[in-house]
Amino acid sequence: MFIIFDPPKQAIVRLTCLTILLIILNNFLFGQLQPVYRFQQDDTSLKRKYFKEAMTKKNKLVSHLGKENSKEYKEAYDGIFDIVEGLLLSSRTITDPEADSYIKSVTSRILSVNPELKHLDVRVVFTRDYPPNAYSIGDGTIAFNAGLFVYLDNEAEFAFALCHELAHYYLEHSKKRLDKLVRLKTSDSLEKELKKLSKQEYGVGAQLERMIRQLQFDIFRHSREGEEEADRIGLQFFKNTGYSGTAPITAMQLLDKIDDTSYFSPLQLAKVLSFPDYPFKDRWVKKESMIFGAMNLDEASGLSKKERDSLKTHPDCSRRLELLKASAATINGQHFQINESLFRKFKTSFIPEIVEEVYRSGNVSFNLYLALRMLQDGQHKPLAIYSIARALNEIYQHQKDHKLGLIIETENRYYKEEYNLLLRMLYRLRLYEIAELNYHFCKQHENEMTGYEGFADEMKKAKTNKRAHQ
Amino acid sequence: MKKQLIILLLCTFFVLGLSAQKMTVENVHKASSRNASAIKEGSEVKGYYFFFISDKIDKNTNEYTLRITDNTLKLLKDIKFQDSKHVAILESSFNGTDLIFLLYNGSDDTFEYQVYGADGKKKHSYTRQLTKKEERYLKMTYLTVNDDEETYKGLYPIENNGFVSVMPSREDKDYTFQVDFFSSQKRKQWTYTPTEGGKRFFGDYLGQYKDVIYIEVLRYGGGFDQKPDSYVLGLNLETGKKVFEKPTDSKFRFYPASLSLVNEGKAYLYGEYFDANANIMKDNSKGFAFWGIDEKGVITSEKYLSWDLEMGKQLDVSSRGRIADFGFMYLHQIVQAADGKVYAIGEGYKKVASALGIASAILTGGGSGVSMAKAKVTDMMLIEFDQDFNIKTAKMYAKNANSVELPSGYEFVSTPLIGKMLKYYYGGFDYAYTQVNRDKTSFSVCYSDFVREKGGYKGGTFNSITMTDGKITTDRINTKSDAKFSAIFPNAQGQVMIMDYYKKDKRLEMHIEKMN
Repeated sequence: MFIIFDPPKQAIVRLTCLTILLIILNNFLFGQLQPVYRFQQDDTSLKRKYFKEAMTKKNKLVSHLGKENSKEYKEAYDGIFDIVEGLLLSSRTITDPEADSYIKSVTSRILSVNPELKHLDVRVVFTRDYPPNAYSIGDGTIAFNAGLFVYLDNEAEFAFALCHELAHYYLEHSKKRLDKLVRLKTSDSLEKELKKLSKQEYGVGAQLERMIRQLQFDIFRHSREGEEEADRIGLQFFKNTGYSGTAPITAMQLLDKIDDTSYFSPLQLAKVLSFPDYPFKDRWVKKESMIFGAMNLDEASGLSKKERDSLKTHPDCSRRLELLKASAATINGQHFQINESLFRKFKTSFIPEIVEEVYRSGNVSFNLYLALRMLQDGQHKPLAIYSIARALNEIYQHQKDHKLGLIIETENRYYKEEYNLLLRMLYRLRLYEIAELNYHFCKQHENEMTGYEGFADEMKKAKTNKRAHQ
Repeated sequence: MKKQLIILLLCTFFVLGLSAQKMTVENVHKASSRNASAIKEGSEVKGYYFFFISDKIDKNTNEYTLRITDNTLKLLKDIKFQDSKHVAILESSFNGTDLIFLLYNGSDDTFEYQVYGADGKKKHSYTRQLTKKEERYLKMTYLTVNDDEETYKGLYPIENNGFVSVMPSREDKDYTFQVDFFSSQKRKQWTYTPTEGGKRFFGDYLGQYKDVIYIEVLRYGGGFDQKPDSYVLGLNLETGKKVFEKPTDSKFRFYPASLSLVNEGKAYLYGEYFDANANIMKDNSKGFAFWGIDEKGVITSEKYLSWDLEMGKQLDVSSRGRIADFGFMYLHQIVQAADGKVYAIGEGYKKVASALGIASAILTGGGSGVSMAKAKVTDMMLIEFDQDFNIKTAKMYAKNANSVELPSGYEFVSTPLIGKMLKYYYGGFDYAYTQVNRDKTSFSVCYSDFVREKGGYKGGTFNSITMTDGKITTDRINTKSDAKFSAIFPNAQGQVMIMDYYKKDKRLEMHIEKMN
């Protein structure tokens, strides 16, 4: 996995969450959002076919379970296949024939030149998800987020990332991790140790914390080793494909700096949301005092630098790069083999797909943020204008109903400063100010949006909202 | 325990990297707000703390965790320390850069003030040893009363400098109060305790101007004194030495409630005023007064606005301060906005006949213990003054009246005294709190109500009157929901944190919402 999402762990969460405290974040309101933008045409029969294949795999796995720990495994599989279902049967998966054919072609190229992979039952799909990730769920489903694809420079980088994910599946990393967690859950020695601890009167918390740390360390260490192994084996698969050996290196460099990279220029909020008759107010984003405002971000974890580093799911990309560099440099090949023009096309056309999916997932503040940046850069301008008007109307209505907190995020030290500024502004705008702002925004773009489906409705709502405060 | 361990482990994985729009805590069998409170800078909530025992070290010692979050409940830091098992947290404050916590150790009768810097590290720690007498007095006042109004709470931030504490105290036989200053810049502390010329002293922090802090003091000659001396005490912020003691009796008896810097940084005291010979426990106030005061205690201006004259022009006000249908006004708060305008926030109340009291008196021959009069709490009131403290507007905000049954004998108690009893004893007013933002361009007054709409909503409401850039808006949140109980907590100005507990699902939901 490039940036890992870890299905076996989620499966175990499902397995045990019936009995214990679990903090769940991200509960979105699907039902209330009425999008007009149309995604690229998806092939629903293909989605159903993939899902059927995945279910067949699940049934096979369950039917082969032995007596030992079968309950734990079954619950874990339920969790894993819930994730598969959530992906394949939702709007998140892109199965537009052209995109699907492209990802299949690149995957086939890899499989065809690596005989050991030929027996694998893989389903590789693009998703509309924003996070710059690619991941193997463990049942043969490999997801490649549009959020990662749009950053890639060439098809060879794409192929290397796929090789890495195929290596995870080939090496059965998910299965091994699942085995490990089930063993942990059913471990006699752990049981004994905990029993002993439960009889102890003093110092229980400290010992329990040490045990948790050790277990975390152990699991993450294996995860890190898994990444390095997937890099190494993935590179072996990649070597046979005829793609350029610079791709693994540039892909790893990209990952290393991906948090500081963006396909948009930095948002200048005061420019984008200022109008001749309704200028931007500094009060909306003025910085306020903050508890522990000068604290190192890592302080909150309470861990030492060494511990923090050791607990990372992924080792430092620069370290992984060093491990790959020498072998990768010896590979000669091309940057494109299947279709360069399609690659370039998807790099552009996936952006509105991502932005719209963010909206449909219920994260209106992030959708607004991306749409403002699209508008600022003049990319997909009509969609950007429409999305901004729609988001501001949603925000108005939710604030009016005191449900704004359910569709917008709150400031977070880990977010980009410009996104935090937008969030601060959204929390400070008074209801009448949102109405005014959207009215002036719509008015400014009224002429160029004539005929764009849905915009007239948003403009009408903005006018009505403004009138309500006069 | 094994399951808990694994889940703790897995929760750590699961939560990492997800973003919050609301926070849900599952499997909560019982919800309680003990040992958790808001961290405020002035009236604005900047974060929350949660204090709990995280481990038992030995029979006398616990390990405590002080969890600090920002105002969206995101974890900022867990501070762990070991101390006696009789340690409790009392309050906190934030001064724009530094944070202070007051801890009480019941084993050795000490207060400990811990100061943390902007980097999250402990900067200083100050310890105050309590005498037995002090402890007894504090147990009757500060340590016992923990109300929403924070009647006895008193850790006031001095921006980027330190904190002032004003707390009840005992000095020999006298009941007094103690002012402490704790520097957050360097390890420095001073204490001031008034003892001269009286037997009882009550002190209220008014504010800070230049290098002086202002305290309103009531000095009683004895336990039965009905007419205490009132004066403003000025203390040097650096040294704690008395700078001045300015009596607030002149042609009227003035009781300042707060101090604000207005009109190009000048200091003004404001509050209600009474007749010079009034008994403040019984008599009505005559109106509002605004005094200009400098750092030497010299009064630079005086302005009096009486109920019957100045206010009467704006409202139907009788000479006794009674407003038709509104009753008497209880003054909750006075705030000043950035544009210099001053706003007074009040709530109406009146004494009316109690059907229950009368019926009980008839049935029991007068021995029911219920008064034949009850207090009726009426509407909210917002009065706007200009920079020169002339009344510009006064507006009532209607709410449903609610009644508070009074004990027998209260039919003979004056209405102003009933107002004070409602505020401090019965918690009978609907007013909740007022918050002003840092640059004073906006403030919100929050209060509760109960509505019965025909064919519509029936239940409790949480209401706000908000001023932003001179524009007043009102809003209401219905507090009745599917939840077993809902609670609304102050957050940043203009925002609230709504907590819903769903007993059936054992789920506690928290989300931040804006008041419109």
